[in-house]
Amino acid sequence: MDPSEVEFLAEKEMVTIIPNFSLDKIYLIGGDLGPFNPGLPVDVPVWLALNLKQRQKCRIVPPDWMDVGKLEEIKELESKEETFAPIPSPYYMELTKMLLNHASDNIPKADEIRTLVKDIWDTRVAKLRLSADSFISQLEAHAKLDNLTLMEINTTRTFLLDSLNCMYKLRTNLQPGSDKSNDY
Amino acid sequence: MSDALSEASDLSGDDSQDVMTPTELIAKLEEAWLNEKFSPELLKNKSEIVECVMEQLTHMEENLQRVRKGDVKASIHRMEIDRIRFVLSSYLRSRLQKIEKFFPHVLEKEKSRAEGDPSFLSPEEFAFAKEYMANTETYLKAVALRHMPPNLQTIDMLKAVPEPCLDSFVFLRVKERQENILVEPETDEQREYVVDLEEGSQHLMRYRTIAPLVASGAVQLI
Amino acid sequence: MFCEKAIELVRELHRMGDGQLPAFNEDGIRQVLEEMKALYQQNQSDVNEAKSEGRSELIPTIKFRHCCLCRNQRCIAAYLYDRLLRIRALRWEYGSVLPTAIRFHMCAEEVEWFNQYKKSLATYMRSLGGEEGLDITQDVKPPKSLYIEVRCLKDHGEFEIDDGTVILLKKNSQHFLPRWKCEQLIRQGVLEHVIS
Repeated sequence: MDPSEVEFLAEKEMVTIIPNFSLDKIYLIGGDLGPFNPGLPVDVPVWLALNLKQRQKCRIVPPDWMDVGKLEEIKELESKEETFAPIPSPYYMELTKMLLNHASDNIPKADEIRTLVKDIWDTRVAKLRLSADSFISQLEAHAKLDNLTLMEINTTRTFLLDSLNCMYKLRTNLQPGSDKSNDY
Repeated sequence: MSDALSEASDLSGDDSQDVMTPTELIAKLEEAWLNEKFSPELLKNKSEIVECVMEQLTHMEENLQRVRKGDVKASIHRMEIDRIRFVLSSYLRSRLQKIEKFFPHVLEKEKSRAEGDPSFLSPEEFAFAKEYMANTETYLKAVALRHMPPNLQTIDMLKAVPEPCLDSFVFLRVKERQENILVEPETDEQREYVVDLEEGSQHLMRYRTIAPLVASGAVQLI
Repeated sequence: MFCEKAIELVRELHRMGDGQLPAFNEDGIRQVLEEMKALYQQNQSDVNEAKSEGRSELIPTIKFRHCCLCRNQRCIAAYLYDRLLRIRALRWEYGSVLPTAIRFHMCAEEVEWFNQYKKSLATYMRSLGGEEGLDITQDVKPPKSLYIEVRCLKDHGEFEIDDGTVILLKKNSQHFLPRWKCEQLIRQGVLEHVIS
């Protein structure tokens, strides 16, 4: 999956904005939004929040977890645990990236947040590499991957799945009696 | 303006028994999209969903034609249309790619389907697959096969074109709890065992093991 | 050694990167077909001899030649089929009109296959949904933010955007415009998306 497609899915997540305009309720195909009143918080999907922000029509309220204190706790938990710790949003990485790139003026301590999220990401991806490695070397047939996010899966998807397929083919071709004997 | 657009969210014009709200419809489309993207084989067609989404899009486009220029609402509707059209196109593209990649097997499966069983291909896809097969066979014949010795002038496409590899591993999220899913051993030294798939949990395992659960909607490929 | 020409065809494609289409190797194909003809004729006469004179010691040689024939067939099919897959990818990349340089590398039958493929694809896309169908060769990337930065590549004159304002699209001028208003002009080469 292309990373832009994971980002596309992340853009469906809801975020609170404070609009500076008024507008009646909008009846989108995917659900209703609004009404919008100046100064009154309202939840919209990230794709809309970013667009309104780009057009200077709103201020974005960062999600609860996008906070230095909370992220430090998560980071500590992540480095203590051997498995993947619960994460506050299935799209924490993409949301951080998008909100910090387009609305950093609305997010207190944006730089610290960027670093913390990057640290959390690095720790988790390192764990993922280790477990992928042991999955392959132990010839496992099943792994439980709770709390892993789509973007994290995506970093290893092609490589891991192709390796597994390749090894499977090598292994099954070794077995006599597979009907490959008529290949020229 | 708001009236014209609000009626777009009403699907009940259809006589279909299972009434789905547009919100549910879009969610279904997204599920189908991801499943199709990650499954090694072609899944059952979701023509009803595709048709309903197309209807919604056309309807919304028509309404937008009547809207005053520069309307903020219109621009938001447009963004949503763009997003839905992307998912829809990407979904149909994934299917068409698999049809092209596995065409002899896809057509064979269609041929051996018991009467009354739902078709994997939509009527349009079926027509496309048949044309693709005929076109490719005609081509191979014209360029090379007809110049070969008589006993080598045909190629068994089912053997020549690789089959989808159902033994591929896939990532999945469980939507409905499942008990006693049999995990086959990878080597002779290992033993088979069973796992329970808890709702909301995520797994990496062979597609073949859980293919029926993808079809029934009990798990979502991710 | 038999089949070397055939393997060379496969190697030739393998050496090219994905998506590249080398010139159709008509000569290579012809040579393989000639080798096949020769192998077949030798086998025919050996088969007759084995039958009429009971020379069963010929059978391994006949079998060997038959394997070579099958391998030649397989390699040619692989070569031709792989080229079709590359040509197919070109339809998605360039649209229905291929650049001349690429057409130049295709044999007449490949052009015919391509035209038929285009037709099947167009029929399929027209049949989707309502009257107009759906062009699924578009919308390849997920839509990003609504407004994009564009540069004007040629003078295009006045252009009205949705809020009713009119802007002048003058060569080398840059604008911040709604994506859906620009797409067609980008395809026509009037505007260029500035990626910052």
